[in-house]
Amino acid sequence: MSILLTEEQELIGQSARDFAKEYLDPIVVDMDHTGQYPAAVVKALAEHDFLGLFLQGEYGGAEAGYVSLVEAIENLARSSAAVASIVINHSLAAYAIQRWGAASQKKDYLPALAAGSTLGGFAVFEHGPTPGVGASALQATRVPEGWALKGTKAYVRNAGVAGLYVVLACTDPAAGAKSLAAFIVSAKASGLTVGPLAETMGLKGCPVADLVFDNVILAESALLGGIADGNAIVTETLALASVAEAAQTVGIGQAAVEHAAAYAKTRVQFGRPIASLQAIQTLLAEVATDCHLARLGLRVAAQLLDQGEPFQVEAAMVKQFLARFGSKLLIDTVQVEGGFGYSEFMPLPRLFRDIAGTTLLEAPADYPEKTIAAALLA
Amino acid sequence: MSILTAEQKQIQAEATAFVAKEIIPFASKFDQSGEFHPYLLDAARESRIFAMAVPKAFGGLEYSALTQAVVLEAWGYGCAGMGTTLAASVLSMDSVLVAGTDAQKKQFFEPMVRGEIGSFGLTEPSAGSDAGNGKSTAVRVGDEYVLNGSKCWITNGGYSSVFVIYALTDPAAGMKGISAFIVEKGTPGFTIGTVDHKLGIRSSNTVELLFKDVHIPAANLLGKEGEGMKIAMKTLDMARPAIASLSLGLAQRALDECVKHLQQLYPEKAQPGQTLQFKLADMKIEIEAARQLLHHTMNLRDAGLPYSAESAMTKTNASDTAMKITTQAVQLMGSYGYTSGIAKLMRDAKIMQIYEGTNQIQRLVISRAVLAPARPAVAVQKGGN
Repeated sequence: MSILLTEEQELIGQSARDFAKEYLDPIVVDMDHTGQYPAAVVKALAEHDFLGLFLQGEYGGAEAGYVSLVEAIENLARSSAAVASIVINHSLAAYAIQRWGAASQKKDYLPALAAGSTLGGFAVFEHGPTPGVGASALQATRVPEGWALKGTKAYVRNAGVAGLYVVLACTDPAAGAKSLAAFIVSAKASGLTVGPLAETMGLKGCPVADLVFDNVILAESALLGGIADGNAIVTETLALASVAEAAQTVGIGQAAVEHAAAYAKTRVQFGRPIASLQAIQTLLAEVATDCHLARLGLRVAAQLLDQGEPFQVEAAMVKQFLARFGSKLLIDTVQVEGGFGYSEFMPLPRLFRDIAGTTLLEAPADYPEKTIAAALLA
Repeated sequence: MSILTAEQKQIQAEATAFVAKEIIPFASKFDQSGEFHPYLLDAARESRIFAMAVPKAFGGLEYSALTQAVVLEAWGYGCAGMGTTLAASVLSMDSVLVAGTDAQKKQFFEPMVRGEIGSFGLTEPSAGSDAGNGKSTAVRVGDEYVLNGSKCWITNGGYSSVFVIYALTDPAAGMKGISAFIVEKGTPGFTIGTVDHKLGIRSSNTVELLFKDVHIPAANLLGKEGEGMKIAMKTLDMARPAIASLSLGLAQRALDECVKHLQQLYPEKAQPGQTLQFKLADMKIEIEAARQLLHHTMNLRDAGLPYSAESAMTKTNASDTAMKITTQAVQLMGSYGYTSGIAKLMRDAKIMQIYEGTNQIQRLVISRAVLAPARPAVAVQKGGN
């Protein structure tokens, strides 16, 4: 295994960076203010093949693998973490279908996801009171046509703009989480509505809302994998989410440290640029170190994924590391910029609000530790 | 917690009740609009809480430093933005307490007793951490001073009746040429510039102050010419623990909200696992330890003992704690935390590490105290055995 990028992976990272400068930099401030979904940018992402990067060639994907995916995400997130969120949540749905879909499902859904003509969403969380990935608020029951879905999924990203969702539902109330099954649900399905958009602190532009299922009838063919696969689909797809969100976090951190370093070179106090003060240098050095270590960790997890190896433990380690250090990347870079840095006229407050959303621990918040310890103690 | 007297407990209970009624229900609204909250000044008028630092001789409440800390923690718990309004007004009074004559105290404190607020104006674009690098000037002309220049990030500026403004009376003398003045709202030539939009404490009013040939009576000079920096430093020693108090309120609120949310997630009698239990325990330990240092610092000040280093330590410790704990709380609450008013706590906490002297400046002060004692006379042995 090499932790260095191949030429192809580097090129993809570079093209994501170029794309971000051309399409994202001009809109990020407005998007943060209005929270408006950047439809034109998503169209351009599709045209530049960023929505089918890791999908197989036979479905129209670039088949460039997961290291390329995280490279692209980091480089997009350096300009807009919200746009990176849109790509990530699309990718989670596409991943689940490519990994667990039957041949006919892959043929039916992947070409549109790869081309970006359909955006994907992944609906797994629920409102309390259930610890863990929700397994009670959305019930799937058998009906003559196939399945009927009733209930609500919470905090669904790409809600309202996705054309299809991969949705986790409980098939046996008595069995709870053990009976989770995944379904492919078209956004146009009768009885499916999108709740009001949630007010998020950051990542504005990537819509977040509840999906409400009022007796949504699905054909048998909507079931993704078997009923027994539901839990694996959740854990593995959320592990990919951890890796992809780590890349997003590192992208935000990288942008922040570069901005703070440039600021420190021009901000003069005590008769000299504050960059010449060791206290400032240390803050920047620590942030750069945390970014670097997180990047190595997430890249290794993505390589394992490329090689078809288990990657969940490495993903959990990256998640845990960034739960500790992720927000600090912005806490400390804002500190370098002081009172100016706290003003919303400057860019770092947006990054501060964004990064908090990429390092969340969804309930149960102890899953990274549990995953790692379970592997150690097995 | 340090032991409070019955009277302090009573004041704490009153502050908590006031915050529950007048602050908590409105905090999100003013955070979202980013507007100042004049209603709060009306609500607080009868209690004279904005005069809590004013001596009784001038009609104030003359709360001890510890009692002020208890009140400010309650306000920080409710809304650190509104708490900042109170803390900043007290900060402006502190300069007058440090250096004001009786006549100046009367001039400055009377509005406070009426429920009005004040501002402290030291910072300029060129003078942040380097507080002595301001460019504003005050030139003596007869029995007046003429003020020119600007101040930035001045809390309460758009709503204050009275201001303490620092300006150079002797530009050639640098820091030793700075003097402090009382300036009243509405003085010709004195206007409010840009209003800042901030990451957090958004209901707190932060503005630029502009001075163009502003004539003020010479009697408004606090202390003597050139004593400005000394007055400012003493003022900040007094005021920094207020930031620790607001920080503690933020941290305590974050822990309480986090516990409430986690308990709702778990069925009756079930508890989160030890990973989460211990995280909560650590949060509690850090908050209690920060509160002890704050109360100890206040006890030193109330006893008339030196507390300058402790003032810097408690500000740094409590604000770092608040930043850490609010961040953890949002994180542990997942998407719920990120899409609810809880996220505000994290945005508010960030300023605590920055204003009234960044935590880097505090560490500079503290490390000077640490390194001040003479080095040990015995040479340290070098190398191995």
